[in-house]
Amino acid sequence: MKFSKLLLIALSISLFVSCSSDDDDTSKGAYDNGFFILNEGSQSLGTISFSSNDLNSFTKNVYEKENGTDAVGGYLQNIFFSGDRAYIIAGGSNVINVVNRYTFKLIAKIDSGLVAPRYGVVKDGKAYVINAGEYSYQNPATGDTDDYIAVINLSNNTVESKVALNSTANRVIEENGKLYITDAYNDKLLIYNIASKALETPVTIGFDGDSIEEEDGVLFILRRPYGGAGEIVKVKISDKSISRIALPASIGQAGFMDIEDDKVYYTASNSVYSFSTNATTAPTTALFASDASYVYGFAVKDNHIYIADAKFTADSKAFIYNLSGVLQKELTTGAGSNGFYFND
Amino acid sequence: MVFRIRLALSLLLLCQFISAQNDSINNLKEVYVSDKNLKKYSSTQSVLKLNDSVITKNEALLTDLLNFNSTLYFKEYGRGMLSTVSFRGTTSSQTAVIWNGININSQMNGSTDFNTISGSDYNSISVKAGGGSVIYGSGAIGGTVHLNNDMLFFNRFENNLKLDYGSFNTIGINYKTFISNKKWSAQIGFSKNSSTNDYKYLNRYTWRGEQRWNQNGQYDIITLNANVGYKINDNHILKLYSQTSNTDRNTSLITETDTKSKYVNGFNRNLLEYDGNFGKLKTNFKTAYIFENYQYFSNISSKNYTYGKTENLITKLDLDYALFKSTQINGIVDYSRTNGYGSGFGSHIREISSASLLVKQDIGSNWKNEFGIRKEFTDNYKSPLLFNFGSSYKFSDLYNLKVNISRNFRIPTYNDLYWETGGNPDLKPESSYQAEIGNVFTFRNITWTQNFYYIKINDMLQWVPGPSGLWSPQNQDKVNSYGTETIVNWKKSYGKNTFALNATYAYTISEDDQTKKQIFFVPFHKATGAVSYSRNKINAYYQVLYNGFVYTTADNNSDDVVKDFTISDIGIDYDFKFLDSSKLGFQVLNVFNKNYESLENRPMPGRNFNMYITLKF
Repeated sequence: MKFSKLLLIALSISLFVSCSSDDDDTSKGAYDNGFFILNEGSQSLGTISFSSNDLNSFTKNVYEKENGTDAVGGYLQNIFFSGDRAYIIAGGSNVINVVNRYTFKLIAKIDSGLVAPRYGVVKDGKAYVINAGEYSYQNPATGDTDDYIAVINLSNNTVESKVALNSTANRVIEENGKLYITDAYNDKLLIYNIASKALETPVTIGFDGDSIEEEDGVLFILRRPYGGAGEIVKVKISDKSISRIALPASIGQAGFMDIEDDKVYYTASNSVYSFSTNATTAPTTALFASDASYVYGFAVKDNHIYIADAKFTADSKAFIYNLSGVLQKELTTGAGSNGFYFND
Repeated sequence: MVFRIRLALSLLLLCQFISAQNDSINNLKEVYVSDKNLKKYSSTQSVLKLNDSVITKNEALLTDLLNFNSTLYFKEYGRGMLSTVSFRGTTSSQTAVIWNGININSQMNGSTDFNTISGSDYNSISVKAGGGSVIYGSGAIGGTVHLNNDMLFFNRFENNLKLDYGSFNTIGINYKTFISNKKWSAQIGFSKNSSTNDYKYLNRYTWRGEQRWNQNGQYDIITLNANVGYKINDNHILKLYSQTSNTDRNTSLITETDTKSKYVNGFNRNLLEYDGNFGKLKTNFKTAYIFENYQYFSNISSKNYTYGKTENLITKLDLDYALFKSTQINGIVDYSRTNGYGSGFGSHIREISSASLLVKQDIGSNWKNEFGIRKEFTDNYKSPLLFNFGSSYKFSDLYNLKVNISRNFRIPTYNDLYWETGGNPDLKPESSYQAEIGNVFTFRNITWTQNFYYIKINDMLQWVPGPSGLWSPQNQDKVNSYGTETIVNWKKSYGKNTFALNATYAYTISEDDQTKKQIFFVPFHKATGAVSYSRNKINAYYQVLYNGFVYTTADNNSDDVVKDFTISDIGIDYDFKFLDSSKLGFQVLNVFNKNYESLENRPMPGRNFNMYITLKF
């Protein structure tokens, strides 16, 4: 082989390598610039799917692909992020899996101090995870009062303290150092002050409060009573004053709510509705009716509406629409798809 | 009513399982069978009978016995855990389990857990393929499994004691005593099977690198049996069967961090039976009280549990009239009253009456016809008119053809009707039409049974989420199941050497009528094989089970399957001829140390061992 040829090969290799290292700077791993779809699965095993933001690349079972036979746990409830890490809450298995959010490789498991964990948020290096504890049908005496916040030190992945809520609890968001907690089985909005480590006086919003979002100093909470008309409750954070927007009974069972670009989006039955965040009444006509038969997860992000159509003994579907309801993509996910988590 | 069983005849007609050893049952003069309709009305269907010697070769719990010796497919939630059956591609509540003629499937969930039943508590276990709702009622769609305690009236006092000790602290104690004379017959038995069940998962490690093992899998099953018969005279016999059992079982974990839970269930069954013979007219009157209960502890560290109980009272009158010498008619009326109460479904009473008519006709000794019709009356659901018709014709010693068609059903359970919240009181029963052709070839020492069947099941009950997110059962799917079953038995003696071979194979298509997809947890293929050899006091055997892959989701995604597996056991025992019989046996289970799962993420044990002593005195 001639030296010039060798040189050519060496040059082209170095070019190639430098090119690929350039790529690494923009993409931190296979799962950057996309979103995870959480599939709750059974009590003992759920799955996680991934799609790129351009909807062209899809992986049905990311966790298994990256971590082999390790069991992620069951009834996957929520994913929250902190730095390079994603935290996958497996409520059925009392465990939080800590993975690299870009490679999805397992880093650690938080596997003690949790009892039926639900949703979590991160503030200043600590995660605050709501634990449902036992339910009243399991334990009539304390099932409704044993829920707590597990405070997790993310530097060593251990539960360092617990905050008893003396109530039931489910969803949580964090805003200006305070946690706002809703649950369908009580009529209160619970408030926890992280700095003073104290629960503040709760706000009575009514039963069946579920999805909660904050926008411009106002909390929006979707109430979704079984078989009854839904309602969006607005709580002004500054003075805890309440205003209510009734949803028409005719639109059916209220489901989930998200806020994007000053608009409140929510589902009722299989349709999507929206109104402006400063509106005082709700529309009676839908933005569009989705293809889902059982809406179990919902999100709105960057001009797209994401709907999970859950099946439990078969693969679920995820439908992705533009804001006018034109279907952009249909994905086949795992059993019990319940949420979308954006990784960018 | 007396049945004289001749071994040869029954083998020929019923394609019964041939064992390497004749046990005491086979040597009798007279057996008073507990479920006479099983024998009388099964000549047009296939019945596989497993007796003592086959029962002894397998692990104590019924799953293992039937898994290795029949075409039934089992889904086990780990060794010794909940075990549900699928027969001819049907669901777990479409196989009825019959105890001495009485249907004992749970009133609460409709099915039977085969890991709560110890095989040694019965004299014989029979597996009858195909529809049987006319005689056995709800759930007899795929087939029926019969647990029988037959009675003998002759002078004897015999004790059987079997002690097992195996891997994972698996302990079996089984004691039976038979005391009888010409008037009285009593069988009293006790069995206890327990295991810490803490086996290692082959090649599986936690994320910390620790060996994974079966946590929280311990079980303990205790059963007491007492069966007493009294012959008032040759024409009038009273029999009392009584059985009490308790299963205390934890539920093995899938992930180390799962909450440890526990399931305790038990039953008490009492059956009083009178047989009267008035010449052409024979009567059989049964009255039974069956109690079942469960307690589920969702967290074993807490004392709290959810529970359910049912009390079921059954009375049944069966009049058998010999119309002609060749034709017999049975008229049966029964009444069943169930009182169920539980934390999930409140308190409800269910009353069901039924009337049925059965006709059996023997035209010569080679042609047999059966006909049956049954109608149930209840306020709880609309009951279809059930029927069956069958014919068996023996063309020659070589070939016997059987044809059977039937309509069968499965009634909604307490959970389906009354579960709070979601229970749907307006459910219809699942119903099915079934047609089958059985071919029995007998040549020298070989019996070859080849069955073909087709089952159409309507109104399958399924829990689905409604528009408001509330889960509720609905009659929605239709399923078509069809396939073939092969059962081969061969036995041959050369001098003191006896060889026997038994094999089964099932090919099953069970598909959703709409999607044309295979029903999940129904394997396309399942095969079993057993070879045994005995000479003088030594008996050795090898058995193998092949279970084809199963889909775990309704859309038949090739990623979501439980892989196929082949596992084998070997065993040997030696009779020291101390007392009447004293065998020392040794078994190696999963001898090739296969890493397999019956359900996804529920690994089964690798190679493990069992030894036993059987004493007869």
